[in-house]
Amino acid sequence: MSEIASFNDFLQRMAGIEDVSVPWLGALREEARTLFAGSGLPTRRVEAWKYSDLSRALALAARDSGPARPTPSPPGAHTVLFENGALAEGKSAPAEAGAMPLRNVLADPQTPFAKLIGHVYPQKDHAILNLNTALMEDGLVLHVRPNTTLPAPLFIRHDWEGEGARTPEGRHLRLLIVLDDGAEATVIEAHSGSPGFSTVVTEVALAAGARLNHIRFERFGAAARQSAVTLAEVKSSASYKGFYLSEGGLFCRHEALLRLSGKDAQADLGGIFLTAEGRHCDNTIVITHAGPDTASRQIFRGALSGDSRGVFQGCVRVRPEAQGADARQLSRALLLSRQAEAAIKPELEILADNVKCSHGATTGELDPAALFYLRARGIPEAKARELLIEAFLAEVIAALESEALRACAEAFVSDWLSGQTNEIPHAR
Amino acid sequence: MSPQALICNGSGPENVMLEIEDLHASVQGKEILKGLSLKICPGEVHAIMGPNGAGKSTTSYMLAGRDGYEVTSGQVRFNGEDLLSLKPEERAANGIFLAFQYPLEIPGVSTLNFLKTAVNAQAKLRGEPLLDAVQFMRLVRETAKLLNVSEEMLKRPLNVGFSGGEKKRNEVLQMALLKPALAILDETDSGLDIDALKLVAEGVNKLRSPSRSFLVITHYQRLLDYIVPDYVHILADGRIVRSGDKSLALRLEEQGYDALIGKAA
Repeated sequence: MSEIASFNDFLQRMAGIEDVSVPWLGALREEARTLFAGSGLPTRRVEAWKYSDLSRALALAARDSGPARPTPSPPGAHTVLFENGALAEGKSAPAEAGAMPLRNVLADPQTPFAKLIGHVYPQKDHAILNLNTALMEDGLVLHVRPNTTLPAPLFIRHDWEGEGARTPEGRHLRLLIVLDDGAEATVIEAHSGSPGFSTVVTEVALAAGARLNHIRFERFGAAARQSAVTLAEVKSSASYKGFYLSEGGLFCRHEALLRLSGKDAQADLGGIFLTAEGRHCDNTIVITHAGPDTASRQIFRGALSGDSRGVFQGCVRVRPEAQGADARQLSRALLLSRQAEAAIKPELEILADNVKCSHGATTGELDPAALFYLRARGIPEAKARELLIEAFLAEVIAALESEALRACAEAFVSDWLSGQTNEIPHAR
Repeated sequence: MSPQALICNGSGPENVMLEIEDLHASVQGKEILKGLSLKICPGEVHAIMGPNGAGKSTTSYMLAGRDGYEVTSGQVRFNGEDLLSLKPEERAANGIFLAFQYPLEIPGVSTLNFLKTAVNAQAKLRGEPLLDAVQFMRLVRETAKLLNVSEEMLKRPLNVGFSGGEKKRNEVLQMALLKPALAILDETDSGLDIDALKLVAEGVNKLRSPSRSFLVITHYQRLLDYIVPDYVHILADGRIVRSGDKSLALRLEEQGYDALIGKAA
């Protein structure tokens, strides 16, 4: 198993899947397969993939990067465990968490979710999405009924470890979250370890007045390769709150493609990427305002050390029908080494007249004057740097409403920082 | 008579806390300090006055250990030890405190968290027991009350949105908590109105003790009405050109730098 996940591996694997007994799935896969075979894997010639070279990352031999370090989970959450992309049946009970295994849904010719899987927010030309649709096997479906609140946060834990994490055709997971009118839920997707290659597609359908807190914790190993996509359709007065915290990996990309389709629909995104030597982390956001008085907010912060690369592409599209839209975006990157690289690209495409849109992007280093101030008070350099980096990230974490989740995020960040201490060169 | 002959009542070198000897230092290749010498004994208050560009801020930053200040010759001893080889945090733990002319605003770091981190970092470097949250809160509340620092100020991010006076009072609070042997006040009067200045000076005076020394760096005599020095030195073009008692500051105020520096030259 020297090389994994080439284009041909994917096609071969796709050809081996038969879904004759489930016509809706057969048709869905067939279309995805055809589109994927036509488009191939995304290349850097495509604008959206300019800063993330998937083919190059896939050509490198898969390796092991040590045991997975689990991410902190909030107390009281219902955990569903996936090991190397497969639901760990004996160790988790999705039904107790209010969820169904995707396998069961895919095997059901009559499932009501047939009209949602692959159709929540269709993107015909999205190669990763098509790849995932053609090959998805495992995952979860969460359906919360009208005016119901999921009693406990759903914590979906993905551990990627050992040989099983590095199958030739990769592992492809699908999560479908359906919140009916006025329903509420908190869903946490947590990854640790190093998938050889995986795709994760999370489809989110929020009906009127529904509220979802969607958290992603990516504590990957250095060899991890993952391309993930979150697709959300947000109807009137519904709210999607996303919080994405990632250490990146050999190749890690998460796209959030959100459509605010109903009046007063909201998307509120916070993101932190913390990358060390040899890592790549790409956050690509496209928010489409398609309903009147819709609001979106994006706050992203990145701290990059070693020779790592962090990417933030944040695009806001305001359709002509989205009068009264309010869109804000702020992204800041902190370069902790001379070799680190940040690619920050805000984009606005406004087709309505009466809108409020703002964006800001900065890249900088730790302020030497602030560092000296702290050191002059007796705080050692490494600790002073930690304090300043935590301060830089604090605003994003503070926006999380749940104290338990804030504690998880803080623990995640402080763990990353303590791992960095050794790499910090001392000026004196 | 050498300017140094005036100062340090102590008879032997064992009584000298800070000794700067013929110090030459450059910033970005430009020599700023050109033979600075100064001795400070425990309990003394020294003032350094000088025109803009004389090297006042360089002196304070060089003593506190800021990057970018290159010592080309001379030495600095603090309690008999070479000071210049130490990192800023080690100097702080050894008892040097610099009250900044412009204290930094650091959003995202709460004043309380910063104070606790600093107090315990110094204790750790000195091998002393650390304070727990309860002990620390008791200490900080008592000290803040003594220095007119409100609880509300302590909860805000460090210096963010503080007025000039609040920032300087916060510096004095840090000084009180960190209990330095030598406090360097770098143009503490800048940006303060007379009421704020009095309040800050009052705080400093509360911290005077026979074992604690002060180096007050200022452009104007005004501050020295409230923090009365034992010795006054005039710094011009990188070295001390005149030393005297507090009356020197008054003469300076009357006659101006040009007259006095001219006389010395």
